[in-house]
Amino acid sequence: MKRVGWLMIALAGIFSFAACGGGNNTAGGNTTGSGGGNGKAPDKIIITAIPDENSDAFKDHFKTIAKYIEGKVGIPCEYMHVENYAAAVTALANGQAHMSWMGGVTTVQADQQTKGEAVVVACRDTDKKFVTYFIANKDAGVGEVKDLKELAGLSSNLSFTFGSKGSTSGHLMPRHFFTTQSGKKPEEAFKSVAYSGSHDKTMQQVADGTHQIGALNYAVYERLKKEKPELAEKAPIIYKTPSYVDYCFVARKDLGDELIGKVRAALLELDPATEEGKKILGYWKAGKMVEADMSEWAGIKAVMESGVDIGG
Amino acid sequence: MSRRVVTVERYAAKRPWGHFAALLVVAVLVIGSFWAVEWDFSTFTDPAKAERALERASGLVEAFSSPDFSDDWLERCWELTKETLSAAVMATFLAVIFAYLLAMGAAKSVSVGVEPVSGWRGRLLRLPQHLFCSACRWTLDVLRAVPDFAWAVILVAVLGLGPVTGAVALALNITGILGKVYSEFWDSVDPKGYEQIRALGGGRLKTFLYGIRPLASRSVQSFTLMRAECAIRNAAVIGAVGGGGLGAEIMYQIGMGKWGKVTTLMLYTLGLTLGADLVSNFIRRQLRSDPNHPRAVRARSTFANLSRAYIGVAFAMCVVLWSVWFMGWGNSAGPDGKARNYLEPLAKLGDAKERKKIAFFEDLLKPDFDLESIGYGDPAKRKIHEQMGTTVKFSDEYEWWDFWRPSAWVSWEKSLQNWFVWRVVKSAAVPLAMAIIGTLLGVLAAMALSYPHSLAFQLESQQFTGESPHPAVRVLRVIQMALARGIGLVSRGVPEVMWAFLFIAFFGPGLLAGSIAIALHTLGVLVRVFSESVDNIPYRRFEQAYRGSRMSCFAYTAGPISWKDWMTYSFFQFESNVRMGVVLGIVGVGGLGFFFTFNFEWFRFEKAGTHLLVIILLTVVIDRISRGLKLSRVS
Repeated sequence: MKRVGWLMIALAGIFSFAACGGGNNTAGGNTTGSGGGNGKAPDKIIITAIPDENSDAFKDHFKTIAKYIEGKVGIPCEYMHVENYAAAVTALANGQAHMSWMGGVTTVQADQQTKGEAVVVACRDTDKKFVTYFIANKDAGVGEVKDLKELAGLSSNLSFTFGSKGSTSGHLMPRHFFTTQSGKKPEEAFKSVAYSGSHDKTMQQVADGTHQIGALNYAVYERLKKEKPELAEKAPIIYKTPSYVDYCFVARKDLGDELIGKVRAALLELDPATEEGKKILGYWKAGKMVEADMSEWAGIKAVMESGVDIGG
Repeated sequence: MSRRVVTVERYAAKRPWGHFAALLVVAVLVIGSFWAVEWDFSTFTDPAKAERALERASGLVEAFSSPDFSDDWLERCWELTKETLSAAVMATFLAVIFAYLLAMGAAKSVSVGVEPVSGWRGRLLRLPQHLFCSACRWTLDVLRAVPDFAWAVILVAVLGLGPVTGAVALALNITGILGKVYSEFWDSVDPKGYEQIRALGGGRLKTFLYGIRPLASRSVQSFTLMRAECAIRNAAVIGAVGGGGLGAEIMYQIGMGKWGKVTTLMLYTLGLTLGADLVSNFIRRQLRSDPNHPRAVRARSTFANLSRAYIGVAFAMCVVLWSVWFMGWGNSAGPDGKARNYLEPLAKLGDAKERKKIAFFEDLLKPDFDLESIGYGDPAKRKIHEQMGTTVKFSDEYEWWDFWRPSAWVSWEKSLQNWFVWRVVKSAAVPLAMAIIGTLLGVLAAMALSYPHSLAFQLESQQFTGESPHPAVRVLRVIQMALARGIGLVSRGVPEVMWAFLFIAFFGPGLLAGSIAIALHTLGVLVRVFSESVDNIPYRRFEQAYRGSRMSCFAYTAGPISWKDWMTYSFFQFESNVRMGVVLGIVGVGGLGFFFTFNFEWFRFEKAGTHLLVIILLTVVIDRISRGLKLSRVS
C-alpha cells in the first residue's frame, strides 16, 4: 500500500518534471536561435518546396535546382520533400530547412511564423504578375464568362474545386476575386466546394468530371496543356483573373547575408541558353529569375488578414 | 380483484415503452440530420446527373477490372504493405505499454483501493489518490476523443511525413481506448476474487499483480487483439493525412486517376486486413481456456500448456522487433529504393531544437472562444465587431417573450452565427448527421443480410425445420451464403476512409458519399456479429417456433431473441461512426474535421484548438450517454 503510494507520487513527479522541463527548454530555445547556427554558414543547405504539384517531375525539378546551387555555391545542397504546404512553412520556421520555394500565402506565413526572420531570395519574372485560371469541364455547359459575377450567377448546381487549402493561386486569390466580384462566397454560389490538394489534381479532376469547375495556377495549366493536350481539351479556360504576386524562394536570415547573397546570385544567373537553365526555367515557364523583397507580398498579406471566410 | 391488478401491472411493466421511446428518438435524429445539414440528392433526382453518375459507376467497374500487376508495382505494393504493418504493430506495442500504466491509475480498484474509509481524516488522505485517478481518466478521455487522423494532422508538422507519424498518431488514440477498457475490466473484477491478498497484507500493487490482473487477463488479451486488428485497418488509411504506408499511395493514385494501380493497392489492403482477421482468429482459439468448449484446443501436458504462453510472448516480441528494425533500417519503400530511417525524427525529439516545434503549437492549447462578439473580452476588438455588425444581439427584432414565434428563433440563430464558437458547434452536425444516417442504413442492411449470412439458417436449417432439402437447393444456399459472406468480408475489410475516397471520386464530395461509406463499413462489421448472435441461439428455440418458412422464423424468432445484442452492437458502432464522421471530414467530406484541418494548415492554431475542443466534447458526451444507458463494453 505504502509502496504504491510512493510509486504514484514518483510517477506524478516525473510527469510534472518532464512538463516543466519542456516548458523551460522551449523558452530558452528561442533566445539561442536555431537553424544553421548564429551567422555561421551551415555545412549543408537544405531546401524544400510547397508541393503544389503531385508528380515525380516536381521532385526531379527541385533536385536539379539543389544540384545547381551546390555547384555554384560550393556547399552541399539537398532537397527535402514535404507533403503539404503547412509542413513547408513549419520546416522553415523551425530550422529543418534553410530555404524554401513558397507561394504567396506561404511566404507571408513564413514571415509571420519566423517572426520576421525570413528573407526573399529571388522569384521568377512571371511571379510578379501571376494569374489564376478558372476552368470548366467541357460537358458542364459553362462557356467563357466575362467576370466571376456571371459565373456565380449561373452555377448554383455545379461542384467546384480549389487546389491546396494553403495555396495562393489555387485558393486564396481565386477565392478573393470571386468574393469581391460576385459578393458571394464560393460555398454559397456552388453546390459543393472541395480542395483537390494540388494544381495538377485540380486539372485532372475537372477534366474527368469529378468537379465541373476548378481554379488553378496558370503556369501549371500551360505546361500540362503541352504535355497532355487531351486534358486541356476536356477542361477549357473560362476566366483569367487579374494579376498578383506569387511564388518566391524564401530563406532564413540566419543562413547569413553572404551565403544568401551567393545563392541569390546563382539563381539570378540562371539562363535559358545553358542546359541547366533551360531545364529549370523551362519547367517553371519563366524567362529568368529576378530580385524581390518581402514588402512586395504585403498585398497578399492584406487579403489574408481581411479574412478567408470558409464558413467555419 | 387484487390478483387482477397485479396481472395488469405486470403487463403494463412489460409494455415496450422503451421501444417506442427508442423509435421516437431514432425518428427525431433522422429528421434532425436531414434538417440540420444540407443534403444533395441531385445525383438521384436529376436525370442528367444520374446518367453521368451511372456512366462513372460503370467506369469504376471497368477501372477495377484491370488491376496493375506489373512486377515493379507489385513489389512496391508489398513494401508499402510491410510499412503499414510495421506502423500498426509499433502503434499497438506503444499503446499497450502506455495504456497499461495509465489504466492502473484510472482503475479505482487499483489506484485507490477498495477498502472503505471512515472519518474525514481517512477521506482526506485518500484525496490525492482520487485526484490522481481522475487525472488519469481525463488523460485517457482526451487521448481517445481526438481521432487518430487529427493526431496525425498535428504530428505531421512535428515528426514530418512517414510511417512513424502514423504509428505515433495511432498509438495515442489506441492508448486512450485500451486504457479506458483495461481500467473498466479491472474495476469490474469482483473484489471477492482477490480479497485474500488484501487479507494477507498485500498492498495495492500486489493486489493488482496477483489478484486483479490475472482475473481480467483473458478479457484484456482478447480486447487488445481486437484493437490490434483495428490498428492495421487504420494504418492502411492514415497515410491520407501524412502517415505513410498504403494510404498515402492510394490517395495519390486516386488523385491522378490511375485506377489500375488503385485496384492493386486495394487488393493488398484487403489482403492485409483479412490476413489480420485470420491470424487474430487463430490466436483467439489458442487463448481459449474453457476446456468444455467444443472447439477449444486441449493442451496435452503441463509443458505444452505453459510453453504456449512463452511462445506467444516470444512471437509477439519478434514481430515488434521486426517492426522497429523495419522502420529504422529495413524500409526501402521510398522513391529512391534506398532504406530510410524513419525513426530519426522520433530520436531527435529529445534535443531542444526539435522541442521548439512543439512549442509551435502552444496556441492549440489556447482555444479561441471569440468572446468579443458576445460582448466580453478585449474592448478594442469588441469595437471592431460592433462596427462590422458581427456581434451577437438577441433583442434586435424580437424580445424574449416572442419565444413562441418560429421566426424569432430563426433570427436568434442567425445572430448567434456571428459567434465563432456557435459555428464550430454547428459544424459538428455534419459528422453527427453522417453517423446517424450511415449507422441506420448500415444496421438495416446488416439485419437483412444476416439471414443469408447465417450458418444456422442456410446450412444447418434442417436441424430445426425437419426438411431434407434437395442437393440443388443446398448448393443454392451455399452459394447464397458465400455471396453474403463475401459482401460482408469486403465491406468490412476495406476501411471507411477508402470507401469514402472511392465515392467522392465518383459521385462528388459531400454528405452522401460519407454516409454511404459509413453505411457500407457498418454493414460489414455488423453483419458478422449479428449473424454470430443468431447462430449462438440453441436450435430447439427455432424448432418450437418453426412454421414452414425459414425467413419468417428468422424474422419473428431469431430477430427478437438477438435483438438486444444487435442494439448494443449498433450503439457501439454508432459511437465509432461519429468519430469516423470527424475523420471523413478531415479527409475532405466537410464539417467539423474539415474546419479543424483547414485552420490548422492556415496556422490559426487558436481556432483549430476550438475545433479540437468540440471534437473532444462530442466524443466525451456520447461516451457519457452510452455509460448512462449502461451500454458499457464490459459485460
